[in-house]
Amino acid sequence: MIKETVKILNENGLHALPASRFVKLAEKFKSSIMLTKDEIEVSGKSIMGILTLACEKGSKVILVCDGKDEKEAMEALKKILEGQD
Amino acid sequence: MNKITIETLYQEKKDELSLEIVTGKEFLRQRKITTYDIFRPGLALAGYTGIFLSDRILIIGETETVYIKTLAKEIKDKRITTVMRLGTPCIIVAKGLDIDKKFIEQAKRRKIPILRTSMSTTPFIHELSAYLDYKLAPTKYVQGTLVDIYGVGVLFVGKPGTGKSECAVDLVERGHRFVADDLVKIVKRGSILVGSGAEKSNRLRHYIEIRGVGIIDIFRIFGVKSVRLRKRIEVVVELVLWDEARGDFERIGIEKKIKEILDIKIPRVVIPLTPGKNVSVIAEVIAMNYLLELRGINPAKEYDIELKRVLSEKEISSVHYDEHIE
Repeated sequence: MIKETVKILNENGLHALPASRFVKLAEKFKSSIMLTKDEIEVSGKSIMGILTLACEKGSKVILVCDGKDEKEAMEALKKILEGQD
Repeated sequence: MNKITIETLYQEKKDELSLEIVTGKEFLRQRKITTYDIFRPGLALAGYTGIFLSDRILIIGETETVYIKTLAKEIKDKRITTVMRLGTPCIIVAKGLDIDKKFIEQAKRRKIPILRTSMSTTPFIHELSAYLDYKLAPTKYVQGTLVDIYGVGVLFVGKPGTGKSECAVDLVERGHRFVADDLVKIVKRGSILVGSGAEKSNRLRHYIEIRGVGIIDIFRIFGVKSVRLRKRIEVVVELVLWDEARGDFERIGIEKKIKEILDIKIPRVVIPLTPGKNVSVIAEVIAMNYLLELRGINPAKEYDIELKRVLSEKEISSVHYDEHIE
């Protein structure tokens, strides 16, 4: 299991488009993907869950990847949150 | 443990509780409350500080205000200083009363905000405690779907892709009321659990994602009768894939499975999924069965009692029904 705190650098925060990119990518990994903000934890594979967190630009979320491909998952998903993708 | 800042209390309740800031606006955000109990400093001002609950909001009413006026200045100042040294997250003066200057001076030094309400002390305390109780109630977020089926709050849980969201839409189509999908906020209120959506804005509520379709608006599609904001959770329905269920599901219904959420026990039903299974109808049956059980009717037990009676008869007659009927 790997855990990292990631700062949302996406312009306009994590709105529908980046969130759907995040979910689509997360679903490709076998690992479980969890996202936590303000002590609320949601599955990274659930679009409504992520949208409900309402991650504004500059906010911090905890990304946890757990499984065989956790390293690749963390690396790829972090990029979406940081708006580098 | 949950906590809220005085800032939140002030912003959310300033109109309803007619609150105004006397001093310490800049400290509102740093000061936090963790208990819904309040504290009246009467005895402390009279000199007894053996028990002093410094984590509570301090309410100063008419009794305290009139009493400290009877004290000599040095004694009064000393006692106020002691009370303020022992500390509180916030002082609220009731009935629109003026507060002694020493309190204000000490509050500034010790970074304690002072608020004032025009309400009378007792009604104010009732309303404040009720609000704090609500805000500080134990809370949990779970991944699931909450639907009101015939007035029974049914929480569906299960892995992603087990069809919770689809089941919710189907139930709404059948006339039931949708509460929340994906992320359900559960608050413990006394001995019951109340579920609602976790959205940051009411206008973000009542949306469901259906894989392949996208986000749909339940309120707009099915109308105001199809949604509700919160619902007591009474039954948990766990959707599991058939091969993962490993026989962990009920066949008779005499033994009841229990799910514990925030230390409250509620009935749990495990539904193994197979292709073509109509989960919505089963969920309706679960809700109706629950309603019957509330009325003391348990079909499995009744069946068993009658079966035992029949088995205890020496000769079992093979004809129970009049053959001319049907």
